[in-house]
Amino acid sequence: MESKYIDHLFRHHSGKMVSVLTRIFGLSNLNIIEDAVQDTFIKASISWRLQQPENPEAWLTKSAKNRVIDILRKLKKEKTYLPEIHKGTVTIAINKLFLDTEIEDAQLRMIFTACHPDLNSTDRISFALKTVSGFSIKEISSALLTKEDTIKKRLFRARTAIQKSQLKFNIPQGKALPNRLESVMEVLYLIFNEGFHSNNKEELIRQDLCGEAMRLCKLLLKNKHTRTSASYALYALMCFHSARLSAKINTNNELLDLKHQDRTQWYFPLIELGNMMMNKAVENLELSCYHYEATIASEHIRASSFEDTNWNKILIWYQKLHDLKPMPSHILTMAVVCMQQQDYITAKTYLDQISPDDFQQRAYLYYGTLSDYYINANQLEKALIQIDKALATVTNLLEKDFLEKKRQMLSEPKKN
Amino acid sequence: MKNFMMLFVGKEYVDLGLSPEDMQNRMQKWFTWGDKMEKAGILRGGEALTPQIRRIVGKNRTVTDLTSAEVKEIVGGFYLIQAKDFDEVQEIAKDFPDYDLGNTVEIREIMVFDN
Repeated sequence: MESKYIDHLFRHHSGKMVSVLTRIFGLSNLNIIEDAVQDTFIKASISWRLQQPENPEAWLTKSAKNRVIDILRKLKKEKTYLPEIHKGTVTIAINKLFLDTEIEDAQLRMIFTACHPDLNSTDRISFALKTVSGFSIKEISSALLTKEDTIKKRLFRARTAIQKSQLKFNIPQGKALPNRLESVMEVLYLIFNEGFHSNNKEELIRQDLCGEAMRLCKLLLKNKHTRTSASYALYALMCFHSARLSAKINTNNELLDLKHQDRTQWYFPLIELGNMMMNKAVENLELSCYHYEATIASEHIRASSFEDTNWNKILIWYQKLHDLKPMPSHILTMAVVCMQQQDYITAKTYLDQISPDDFQQRAYLYYGTLSDYYINANQLEKALIQIDKALATVTNLLEKDFLEKKRQMLSEPKKN
Repeated sequence: MKNFMMLFVGKEYVDLGLSPEDMQNRMQKWFTWGDKMEKAGILRGGEALTPQIRRIVGKNRTVTDLTSAEVKEIVGGFYLIQAKDFDEVQEIAKDFPDYDLGNTVEIREIMVFDN
């Protein structure tokens, strides 16, 4: 008996069905829709125990179609206004809306809704993960390392904003599209980074987030209006980073920096895919910050060992990235790169341009880098002071571990 | 060989707010468990029950309609299996997927009447 289902089938299907049903019933009925979809999965998970369907996906879709009728009945009973339903055509249109291409279209609409400027930017990620990706509140909270109550509040705020602005469930057209697309890409980039740079010890959660961001980015590439050189570059960037996701942690669950990663563990099919995407991304001359980030990531991957890294090139790309989108973290990274090149003087000039406050809760990154600078300048006392500052501000357990090991190495020679 | 019933008692998925991912993972475990029993040739049947309850109590036959959300625990379903004794069923029941939800398996032997 075949009993292995596609990974995340339910989760992905949940996002699809919520999107399609929202297209039918409108954003104002999102709560009812989510409950109905949830109900489908409860029914499936229980009834399939005894009898497994031949084609689970088709079963789920059929069941979601049946929910359309349930929802209609419920709304009629409540005499709710149905904004997006044209009476009479409903039953004809419904089958069409459940076609694969239309499902993808509906999902894109949901992503664009999640990224509407009327939604607070921190609420966008939670709302997207809930409605487009089918994460539960608990899953979002553990993925983003944020309290469940906070996530609930964010979702509530997002929904309120959607109702208040009476958002239309569509992909903006014309002049409104580029701006919105940019905020969509930013949200996908942030979801990806949450996974890639996550403080989470659980590799599964990190993979989930990166996988979701890539899945949604792929949807952008499938639609001719949202397929741009920037979205190709973003996808390439995600490929390059994902290729080394599992090499970031060793078997003892310790964080490994680029220098200590086992490069044979990098996943080459993803690197190849990234290269292909990059070729698409440079078909015209519009360069986005994702182009530079992807180029930097591929430059790291190109080096057969850490020592072979072409730091010169990387520094140039960072400078260009910083010119396009100035950020303190770029300056910090440039300082790190200069140190790799043993150019401590330039490194210090970069470090002098920024302060720990620029990094807020990630100030430990600044302190850590500064301590590296002092180590190289042979000022161990100062290096230790900075490491202690880093340790005092770090919340990520893996990073903390990493810093503590470093501190130990620093203080050991003194004992001898 | 004797016949036993494993009764699944506790909270319903619908009342626990499980995520689609969680439900799929649990379903996978139910499959694996069911397959295992089937392969061993001990599975005699089973059903899942809906969360609606109609309760009739007392001399006056008072009727109450309830849902799973309104009761502390509910029988969610059962399997009928063949086994040598309680210990053997207990071993099989180890794979029940929902212990972590606080749910329970109750093993009962099907009574056999001598002629």
